[in-house]
Amino acid sequence: MNENTLTVLVADDDVTNRLLLEAILRKEGYDVIHAEDGREAVEVFERERPDLVLMDIRMPELDGYQATELIKAMSGDVFVPVIFLTANSDIDSMVKSVEAGGDDFLAKPYNRIQLQTRINALMRIRELYSTVRLQRNELIQHQKRLERERQMAKRLFANIIHTGSLDRPNIKYLLSPMSLFSGDILLAAPKPSGGLHVILGDFTGHGLAAATGALPVSSIFYGMTAKGYSITEIVTEINTRLTTILPVDMFLAACLIDIDTTTHTLTVWNGGLPPLMVYDARRLAISLRIPSQHLPLGIIDGESFSRRVQVAGIHQGDRIYICSDGVLETQNRQGEMFGQDRFDALFATKLAPDALFDTILGRLSDFQAGSLQQDDVTLLEICYDQSLLEQRADTVEEEAGARGRLSAVPSSWGLTLTLTADLLKVLDPLPLLIQTLMDLQGFRGQRQQLYTVFSELYSNALEHGLLRLDSSLKANASGFVEYYQAREQRLAVLSEGEIRIDIHHQPDAGGGRLTIAIEDTGNGFDVNSALLPLTENLGHAGRGIQLLRSICDEVTFQGSGNRVEVVYRWR
Amino acid sequence: MPVTSTVSASGKDITIKITGRFDFAVQNEFRDCYHSTSPDDGVSFTIDMHKASYMDSSALGMLLMMREHLGGNNADITISNSSADISNILTVANFQSLFKIS
Repeated sequence: MNENTLTVLVADDDVTNRLLLEAILRKEGYDVIHAEDGREAVEVFERERPDLVLMDIRMPELDGYQATELIKAMSGDVFVPVIFLTANSDIDSMVKSVEAGGDDFLAKPYNRIQLQTRINALMRIRELYSTVRLQRNELIQHQKRLERERQMAKRLFANIIHTGSLDRPNIKYLLSPMSLFSGDILLAAPKPSGGLHVILGDFTGHGLAAATGALPVSSIFYGMTAKGYSITEIVTEINTRLTTILPVDMFLAACLIDIDTTTHTLTVWNGGLPPLMVYDARRLAISLRIPSQHLPLGIIDGESFSRRVQVAGIHQGDRIYICSDGVLETQNRQGEMFGQDRFDALFATKLAPDALFDTILGRLSDFQAGSLQQDDVTLLEICYDQSLLEQRADTVEEEAGARGRLSAVPSSWGLTLTLTADLLKVLDPLPLLIQTLMDLQGFRGQRQQLYTVFSELYSNALEHGLLRLDSSLKANASGFVEYYQAREQRLAVLSEGEIRIDIHHQPDAGGGRLTIAIEDTGNGFDVNSALLPLTENLGHAGRGIQLLRSICDEVTFQGSGNRVEVVYRWR
Repeated sequence: MPVTSTVSASGKDITIKITGRFDFAVQNEFRDCYHSTSPDDGVSFTIDMHKASYMDSSALGMLLMMREHLGGNNADITISNSSADISNILTVANFQSLFKIS
């Protein structure tokens, strides 16, 4: 069938009529096919699929009404106009033809102009109809494809932004996105040395655009935490990346926290989120409030980015709260916001710590009472439970160990590193050092142990050797804070001294023997007092040495105590 | 009009008045107020929040776009007459380090 030429089916049992119509139509440039009765009309229609049908009413076999009903049913959602050929325009036959699905009438005798006009009008409708149908089908296809893509992206997104360690019993959270993708991000990851890193962030806007920004944040956060970087370094890296990739008017308001179970401290960087709060489990009141102190992430980079963190002590059972501003901006039906004051008031009623989280959720949903959610809402509670937080994840180390190309073959190698004061001021060498060792030897499954060993040795050399900090300060939690403040201050002005690290590795009985010596240029310390048995040394101080002894095969102090050598065997 | 701007006789001071909600709905009007100004024109902008009832994070983003357009660190933009709520939003985001707040 020629695509540009319309095909018209003429169904009439009267040969004269048929020939007359055919002649007119051909003259007008149509292809014409014909049928001599109703049944044949249906058969021809099914075979030839014409664009238009001229249908006589009174015919043998099937009459025009019945044939039209069948043809209309056959054409489905394609519009095939049927014009009834009538001898007279009596109302009865008109009603019947409309009921049968007819679209127009043509009275005898046939007039060329009249026929042409009718056909043109109906063909315009047919064209319109088919355009609409095409567009509708395209829309349906498009919507289906979009929905498939959205669902796939959502699964992919969920895998990448997996919530990490949020499923521990001491962590409660509400993450309620207002669309398929959340503009809020909530991630937690265990530190190699024990304890937890958490980030709660709120991108401007919500939905797919906001969620896309969450991908680099998540990979930096998990990657750097596993390698032992501090939140100061992580927040700086995230900021640099987001400043590069985000459009100017998009940013991430975020709060990063480091919960450390060795020092019982909470380290916080808050840029643009409502205040972090700590609920004291013994006094049943807020003991700490850390409001936003920085610009949100992704706005400025370089020197003016503020990486300053706040450090505070924390006690067993204390509850830490962070939320996105969607919580405080929850609206009731009058358009009033929940607000910081109502939020604060919840903590002022001496509630049992266990009941707080559910009470907050209850109050929020009562307040909202059926009005629409305006923004992504995220609320997090972490209970400072030392034993739970101390658990270390082992998935990360396996992954990292697999990267070591030589991991299967223990070999002989050595490494010497001298860290000067200038370098120590700006760089925490541990993550780099550990990564180097993992790349050199693999140490499958040993990452955390090694991290602990290096971390104890290094802090000892830096804090006691070079910075001359007094461990006895750390006898209680407030002393801890003071200790870490002093550490920061003294490190910032450190001008002389260095730390030398010597590492040797030898294959040994199917595994290896790693000798690590760390020497500092400080005064050393009274070795004997540090070597007291554990029963006489229950304070926070000296705990590091006990820890080293429990992991290493040998621990020896040399010189005036300013050189420590340990031997670590692995297989 | 939710966003109106007035230019001083010298042409060197432009005041943008925000009325009602300061959010994404007014972004085109807001951008029109500064878009024809370039960083080298030496124009000082004042955003008058006296009649603004509320601002959200998209408005913070709009302020950042404006700052960028007017030369980043060299942009001269003052945000004035903010209500307590709006001041709080600006403070939480630490925008006092990027804009003059009066």
